[in-house]
Amino acid sequence: MSEKREVLFEMKNIEKIFSHVHALDHVNFDVRKGEVHALLGENGAGKSTLIKILTGVYKKDGGQIFMDGKEIEINSREDAANAGIAVIFQELSLIPTLSVYQNILLGKEISKFGFISDRAEKKQIQDLIDNYGFPVKATDIVETLSVAQKQMVEILKALATDAKLIIMDEPTASLSSRESELLFKIINQLREKEVSIIYISHRLEEVFNLSDRITILRDGKNAGVIEKEDIVPSEVVKMMIGKEVSESTASRELKTSNAENVLEVKNLTHLGYFNDVSFEVKKGEVLVLTGLVGSGRTEVVRSIYGADPYDSGEILFEGKPIKPTVRRSVANGFGLIPEDRRTQGFSPLLSVTKNVALTNYDKLAKSGFVKKADEDEIGKKAVSLTDLRPANPNVRVGDLSGGNQQKAVLGKWLTRDLKVILIDEPTVGIDIGAKDEIYNIIEGLAQQGVAVLMVSSDIAEVLHVAHRILVMREGRIIKEFNDGVATQEDILLASSGFVENQEVA
Amino acid sequence: MKQMRQETIRRIISLVLLVVLTIIFTLTTDTFLSWDNITSMLREAAFIGIIAIGITLCIITGGNNLSGGLALGMVCMVFAHLYHYTSMSLLGIVLVCLAAGLISGVFNGFVVSVLQINDFIATLSTGMIFQGITYILAVRNQYGSITSEMIKNPTIQSLGGKFSNGIYYVTIAWLIMTLIAQILLKKTKIGTYIYAMGSKRTSAEYSGISFIKIKMTVFIIAGFCSFVGAMFMLGRMGTCDVETGAALSLQAVSASVIGGAVFSGGRGDMIGTLIGVLFMQVLRNGVLKFNMTTAQQAIISGIIIVLMLVFDAYYNEFMQKRATRAAAIAREKEGR
Repeated sequence: MSEKREVLFEMKNIEKIFSHVHALDHVNFDVRKGEVHALLGENGAGKSTLIKILTGVYKKDGGQIFMDGKEIEINSREDAANAGIAVIFQELSLIPTLSVYQNILLGKEISKFGFISDRAEKKQIQDLIDNYGFPVKATDIVETLSVAQKQMVEILKALATDAKLIIMDEPTASLSSRESELLFKIINQLREKEVSIIYISHRLEEVFNLSDRITILRDGKNAGVIEKEDIVPSEVVKMMIGKEVSESTASRELKTSNAENVLEVKNLTHLGYFNDVSFEVKKGEVLVLTGLVGSGRTEVVRSIYGADPYDSGEILFEGKPIKPTVRRSVANGFGLIPEDRRTQGFSPLLSVTKNVALTNYDKLAKSGFVKKADEDEIGKKAVSLTDLRPANPNVRVGDLSGGNQQKAVLGKWLTRDLKVILIDEPTVGIDIGAKDEIYNIIEGLAQQGVAVLMVSSDIAEVLHVAHRILVMREGRIIKEFNDGVATQEDILLASSGFVENQEVA
Repeated sequence: MKQMRQETIRRIISLVLLVVLTIIFTLTTDTFLSWDNITSMLREAAFIGIIAIGITLCIITGGNNLSGGLALGMVCMVFAHLYHYTSMSLLGIVLVCLAAGLISGVFNGFVVSVLQINDFIATLSTGMIFQGITYILAVRNQYGSITSEMIKNPTIQSLGGKFSNGIYYVTIAWLIMTLIAQILLKKTKIGTYIYAMGSKRTSAEYSGISFIKIKMTVFIIAGFCSFVGAMFMLGRMGTCDVETGAALSLQAVSASVIGGAVFSGGRGDMIGTLIGVLFMQVLRNGVLKFNMTTAQQAIISGIIIVLMLVFDAYYNEFMQKRATRAAAIAREKEGR
């Protein structure tokens, strides 16, 4: 790919503003014919905002979009489709109980007087499939296909509409390595047929292997465009993070590094989710599991808590092996701040007091009846412990801001005698001020001697809070940073599959 | 190995149930397989079956319809009312009845699609409304009490008749309607859209399929089924009272479920519902011949329906978990 092909699609000076925040600030982006163009950036860099603008989900606040040299307006999904832009969704958009050909032709059936010509439809789609050599049949029912095959059907659906530009958003997130290889082959075929692809993935290794060019976004701005021959992994990562000087975590070294182990996990395995996971959390330590979404972090935590099963391995609490169930865990002094607080963390229609009381009824209601005064007292305690605002324990949790909702969830456990707290992505969707308060609460818990096991994808947060960091990838722990020194680059490279000195193949 | 689809297994289960039940009753009673008994069973089945056609379509879109039988009762009463209190021609009355059936469908469709009310609750309530209208229209004697109205019109009475070989007209009507509905489902755009809407609404809508249009279509067809069922019901009974049709809805929903229609939508067809209807009828009839009580019959069909629902609820999840495990084990062997 040394000769430069002509430009198919171009976005110039794109702007998008969400309540005074520049989500995209004069971003330029172009794709050539038959090019695989990767879009890189950390969470919140503006990748998905840009994609949503070019697929008609969001309206741009400024800038121009060109297709084949002509300026176009994209205000809806239909506009995008008419312009020849198709998206392969992370969350597959196929109809499970219909066949492959019915899915591809849905809404565009070949029919006479409303009667479908099955034979013509099957033939047309089978021809399309044969043209690309995909391992699916036109008559297969979608729900019987593997994730990779479903993705192929999505791609076929795009090709059937003569899409010139296909957007793939984390296409390998749920594929096995063999399935990924097949996808890469398909992408190369598409490239040969002059189809352009915008490729978004956190897995840097595959991005570097596949892409003809990479555009990097950072904080809603262009951070650089790199041609394939100029790709240097560590340079790319630096552009994504934007800091030349590495930030270390030396300041957060654990003073009580000879404290006893509260929680120990030995060779824990849940087939299909995580494999051979071992670590220990000491009294007063904050251990963070990080890695890409889908690397098995949440699943490990849920199994430790007893919310999910596991196949083999051992969990030790204060040196004694335990078989966790949620009830036992709570009784042992475990707490869980779940990933999705809205559905798993609190009851939105109940007040702060009632929510907090839910985890405390073992003490509040020994006889089965509850004294309102006891309940109110524990609600007040939770409010003061977490500095909840408004400082009114009778507010419905659903009416609080995101940060204060999370404080209420923390309050459910802070009011108990905690030994271990499991925290999953505590600050997603929470504003910066409240984030700091939540970090302070976590730090305070550690200082009181609680063992903290936290899951987080936000690398800045990981470095800020952790005493020790474990990086997970595809269900395994692949790297430990336990000397108190790690940089954003180290973690990002490890999560994306570049361990130690491994370079692009 | 490729996993068997939920539909395939359900079809096998319902067929086996039907065959087993038929064999048991054939072996244990002398009269079960007599031609007379078969034709009369098929006549009774036809009424459940005609209502079940509309209900199955509603279930495939991911909904339900608990009002089909009550709409049938209302249409019957519209007929009886006009027949008793006016001097309208038969054609006129039938046209008004057709309109009543279709309007019941439009009303259901409106509540479910435009107002976006859950089908189950919506049709439970509209069914009550239909029943209320039935009471209002009911024919009363000189003291004001509700009486059942004899329908002596020969054309209507002839609808209750049969061919020389003993098969009733209503049975033929049911089978023809089942065939048409099956063709609609499997061979037309509308049919594909009905499955698509029930299977994954957002994806269907993104493909340009209108939720309102599809819901309206299935409920109007259900209303039409109530009209046809009502005409044959008048022919069969020769009378009409306020209880006519009230029991049909639940029997028809049961038949659809036993035949493979799944409340979450996207699954089921008319062949399955045909089997389900036959099963319900064989059970009813055989139980009579067995001297089992209605209670026992209700318990048997209730248990079977619960088992079917349990199967529907867990089958796909179970198979998916198994596939995840198998893939993980394969990966381990691959040695990555």
